[in-house]
Amino acid sequence: MIDLQNIHVTFNAGTPLETRALKGIDLKVPEGEFLTVIGSNGAGKSTSLNSIAGIVPVGRGKVMVDDTNITKWPVHKRSKIISRVFQDPKMGTCEDLSILENYAIACGRTKPKGFGFAVNKDIRAQATESLSVLGLGLENRLNDKVGLLSGGQRQALSLLMATTGETKVLLLDEHTAALDPKTAAFVMDLTNRLVEELGLTVVMVTHSMSQALDTGHRTIMFHQGRIIFDISGQERADMEVKDLLDLFKKDQGQELADDSLLLG
Amino acid sequence: MSYYELMGTFELSFIFAILALGAFITFKILDFPDLTVEGSFPVGASIAAVAIVSGIPVISNPWVATLLAAFAGFAAGYVTALLNVKFKILHILAGILVATALYSINIRIMDGPNVPLLNVDTIYTVFDDIEIMASFEAKTLFLGVFVLAVKLLLDAFLATGVGMSMRAAGANAAMAEANGVDVGKMKLIGVGVANALAAVAGALFAQTIGASDAQSGVGMIIVGLAAVIIGMSLMPSRLIWQATFAVIFGTAAYRLAIAGALNADSLGLNASDLQMVTAILVIFVLVAQHYSKSYFAAKKGAKK
Repeated sequence: MIDLQNIHVTFNAGTPLETRALKGIDLKVPEGEFLTVIGSNGAGKSTSLNSIAGIVPVGRGKVMVDDTNITKWPVHKRSKIISRVFQDPKMGTCEDLSILENYAIACGRTKPKGFGFAVNKDIRAQATESLSVLGLGLENRLNDKVGLLSGGQRQALSLLMATTGETKVLLLDEHTAALDPKTAAFVMDLTNRLVEELGLTVVMVTHSMSQALDTGHRTIMFHQGRIIFDISGQERADMEVKDLLDLFKKDQGQELADDSLLLG
Repeated sequence: MSYYELMGTFELSFIFAILALGAFITFKILDFPDLTVEGSFPVGASIAAVAIVSGIPVISNPWVATLLAAFAGFAAGYVTALLNVKFKILHILAGILVATALYSINIRIMDGPNVPLLNVDTIYTVFDDIEIMASFEAKTLFLGVFVLAVKLLLDAFLATGVGMSMRAAGANAAMAEANGVDVGKMKLIGVGVANALAAVAGALFAQTIGASDAQSGVGMIIVGLAAVIIGMSLMPSRLIWQATFAVIFGTAAYRLAIAGALNADSLGLNASDLQMVTAILVIFVLVAQHYSKSYFAAKKGAKK
């Protein structure tokens, strides 16, 4: 479903601040796979996610999604096949608009935006139905501004919004990192439920090694702009955080700076 | 203030309310501080005036002339947004550049610094021989209905798929893009429409005072801004239809305050002090807003 071919990304090219964020990434994520991505700060995990979403232009290489070359597509065009949930709960929703209006915008993601009213009976019914799944009572607050919701509620709403319409690929950028542990667990559980139900292809960036191993089907680790390992199947199932650290040490000949990753 | 003067104040405030609704789109919806209106307002005035006095059938119809003004205003706004979206020129600077160029273009259009509208039909001509009320009352009433129609159209537009996308594009561009909204396109349309409204206001203004003048755009940006700021701080504006109403109300409140200040003999102000009075009024409202916010915040904190 996702096929990154020899992706190079360089920030501030040609200046003293030149940073080679990605140094030739090759990555294939088959349809229906849930991939988790870990790595320390600046390793390139978010940059690779952003290169799929189109926020970061790639210097060299090809981004293919669903057998279509989307390397040159702008962000808004890519969002018809790729949906995203951001780390910051404030980013995924519009706080000045009501829950229903936000939902209506998300419903328009895969469709052309016309001059019909954005909020109509169908959208209202659809929003009520899908919001009630959350069990947060948001279906009774459709006309409340999103700014009134808590971070966890906003993130749950973002997730629902990202999975409306015909989404094929879901990108999650540390979407539980800004939440308290209980809310994070709720949002993660919701994520698993929605992904399974809709059979989505998912790439999830996380700082937590245990979350990376406990969620999804496959885990890759970035280090200094490269993918240093790629584990799945039984090998991954048997693995614990400690094994992951050992693997890193063996591979890189150095200790992984513990403070840059959550080990818990 | 006499009844006649009061009606005159309302007449002008309804005209400026059209421009203020445009400022509402740029400042509040798109978060795009647009200074093009300083140029698109007089362009609307001059295009309408030149078309009306041209004597060419159809074109010299005042309604057609006003429509032409709207198109010209849209084009001006579109160019400003294009400079910002495509060439990444700072929005304020893009507006200043276009407004500056429009000053010269305006004099070209009028082939001089002004065009008088004498002995020609304007959209107000039909009210000259009206039986049931004085023509100045009819004019004011007509402009009030016109503004209300513009407001309702704008409300409806902002509730459509495109309108909602525009609101998202201004409020949270990253979220809008992630939901398939072409943020650049929204700016092009929004700033275009805002300047079309400014140009229509210019066209109606020229027909009201009976002339188009190259200088008439000076201070228009503050007029729009003052209306939006005053209106939205005096009235509830949580919902779109409330906010657009607040903008119209704000224009009237602002014009009344200005008229009151200029009329009060004790203050000794001249008509030429208008811009200064406006600026002071806007500063006053902004400062009051600042203090009321910190006052309410302190009160809230004390409760906890």
